[in-house]
Amino acid sequence: MFQLKQGRAKALTAALAAALLAGCAPPPAGNEVTLNFFQFKPEAIQEFAGLIDEFEAANPGIRVLQNNVPDPDTAIRTLLVKDKTPDVLTLNGNASFGLLAKACVFADLSKEPSAKEVLPAVQDILNANGRCNDSEINGLPMANNASGILYNPELFAKYGVSVPRTWDELIAAAETFKAHGVAPFYMTLKDAWTTSPALVNLAAQLQPEGFFDRLNAAGADRANSPVSFSKDYQEVADKLLQLFKYAQPGAIGVDYASGNKAFADGKAAMYLNGSFAVPAIRAANRDAKIASFPYPVTNDAAHTTVVSGVDVALAMGRETPHRAEAQKFINFLMSKEVIDKYAKNQSAFAPIKSAAPQQDPALKGLASYFTAGKVAGYMDHRLPPSIPLVNITQQFVLDADKSRYLNTLDNEWFKIAARTPKRGDQQ
Amino acid sequence: MTHSTKAFYWMAVPALVLFVTLHTVPVVTGMFFSLTDYAGYGKWNFVGLQNYLSLFKDDRVLASYGFTFLFAITATVIVNVLALGVAMLLNAKIKFQTAFRGLFFIPNVLAILVIGYVFNFIFSNSLPLLGQSLGIDWLSTSILANKDLAWLGIVAVSAWQSIAFSVILYLAGLQTIPAELYEAAGLDGASYWRQFSSITFPMIGAFFTINMVLALKGFMQAFDQIVALTGGGPGTSTESVSMVIFRGGFQGGEFGYQMANSVVYLLVIVAVSLIQLRTLQRKEADF
Repeated sequence: MFQLKQGRAKALTAALAAALLAGCAPPPAGNEVTLNFFQFKPEAIQEFAGLIDEFEAANPGIRVLQNNVPDPDTAIRTLLVKDKTPDVLTLNGNASFGLLAKACVFADLSKEPSAKEVLPAVQDILNANGRCNDSEINGLPMANNASGILYNPELFAKYGVSVPRTWDELIAAAETFKAHGVAPFYMTLKDAWTTSPALVNLAAQLQPEGFFDRLNAAGADRANSPVSFSKDYQEVADKLLQLFKYAQPGAIGVDYASGNKAFADGKAAMYLNGSFAVPAIRAANRDAKIASFPYPVTNDAAHTTVVSGVDVALAMGRETPHRAEAQKFINFLMSKEVIDKYAKNQSAFAPIKSAAPQQDPALKGLASYFTAGKVAGYMDHRLPPSIPLVNITQQFVLDADKSRYLNTLDNEWFKIAARTPKRGDQQ
Repeated sequence: MTHSTKAFYWMAVPALVLFVTLHTVPVVTGMFFSLTDYAGYGKWNFVGLQNYLSLFKDDRVLASYGFTFLFAITATVIVNVLALGVAMLLNAKIKFQTAFRGLFFIPNVLAILVIGYVFNFIFSNSLPLLGQSLGIDWLSTSILANKDLAWLGIVAVSAWQSIAFSVILYLAGLQTIPAELYEAAGLDGASYWRQFSSITFPMIGAFFTINMVLALKGFMQAFDQIVALTGGGPGTSTESVSMVIFRGGFQGGEFGYQMANSVVYLLVIVAVSLIQLRTLQRKEADF
């Protein structure tokens, strides 16, 4: 999800681009079937183009047309409004995806052979975001990301810091770097969303069991809700603030791209980001020294999990006229060979049982948690997207007003629950 | 009805059809959906006035109205004061008058989104450097990252761009004033200030009115400059009403709810413009 949020102006062009989508397909020749493939990830256009060539060569008579637009979350909505659901889609498995799945615009894929290959923990995370009739499988995870702390192994070695396994060790490490005049974390507060990797990791390990399910069950009844952000997110907020106290001077004016460059150039010991930042950091400096470890949020190392979300979820339009061909294409994309190759090239985690483990040295610190199933979902995927969570969090990190922050979150949550009683859209 | 007048009616039909299908039908459809909980896709229920009631309880929406009015009024005042000043300078007998007029119009030709990104760079990089070297504390970091100052950055860019258009209108107004008035006033010994307050300003009253109305209406719909400069941030401190409508409606899946917001906002803008026209027109000089 993170790569989506960088482009603010992209939103404006999305509607236009979506309108153009329909017009750019040449008519199919003879009895050839053309699949309209909505591909949301700009970083993976080349990757998918190669896969499509491979698929078309093996399946004469099926053509796949890749469409890629800026701000896909908005673009897909405009397509749906016009009843132009693509045949096959990749989408980020976020809250937006959950809402669409819940509105039953995607086909049920639970009978597909590839569905049985998916790691159950990962499928659960995707299903928890929302699904049609609460029983179908509306998306198959093709690639996962993982949020963790990236670090510079050279700087760690230079100052004799070992990889932190508890919260206290993490803070001690930050203090050590600070004492040596090295920025402990590189913060990029100009882009509001860069506050959320830390937030989701803290929340995943500190929020009470079933927090969002109980919050949903409470409906609009704020006064009698057993759980709330004000009650249960105190420690999350405290620790978030503590981390952001280590921001380098001027962090509020620095954007994500500059942060990637600075970390790539060894200007900070750690970077509060995830697997999705690794390709961007390498793009800024091919020789960047990157390694990773999961957020040690508590002082119990056994409690540590990796927050992982479905970076690429495959879905099929519910009413597609080319169901057989779409199934063929999806099962091709879900095959072990394709997934392994994709995970390797895109620094992603492969969410199927038979996949080879992620060998990238930058991600090795997270890989074992992933295969052991010690994964948790993104907390922000459970919030309705109409809550501007990242902006509210950015505000909090800047003004440190904890009670206002938690109260705002409660306020936004229950306000939306109150005005959409019938939809039951909130996660 | 004669044959020729009938023809004129028929000539208006294509325009009417286009207007109704491309404008009235979508507006009425939107108004209908403001009474539903439509998300923009999938099933929907009729909810009556629920959305409108929720609007008045939504502090985020109320905050965006507060920001928009603060921004629009400040920008309107700044634009009109400066535009009138520039227009009077350009109307004076100076060398290269045409060249200057062309030059001053350039900001209006550029797309605000493009300008926004250029100024974003200036505010985030160049100005802080200047602030650091001069030792000015509040200027040493990007003002766009400061929730109390970010709106000023947006005002500055919006004003910079839209002054050009107001200047053109004021220039047109200034050229309608007969030169004899100034000659007579000069013979009577009236000062420059007296000439401005008793001749120039009353004579361009109608232009002042239309400039004020157009500027306020335009600024109340502010969207692209905010997208380019702050994206509504830091936090949600610079979210305009249009921004909330776009985010909640298109990105947040609350199409029906934000449609209700749009309908209310349409009424607010129409009301403000009418009040403004009424009060300002009464002050115009009749001649």
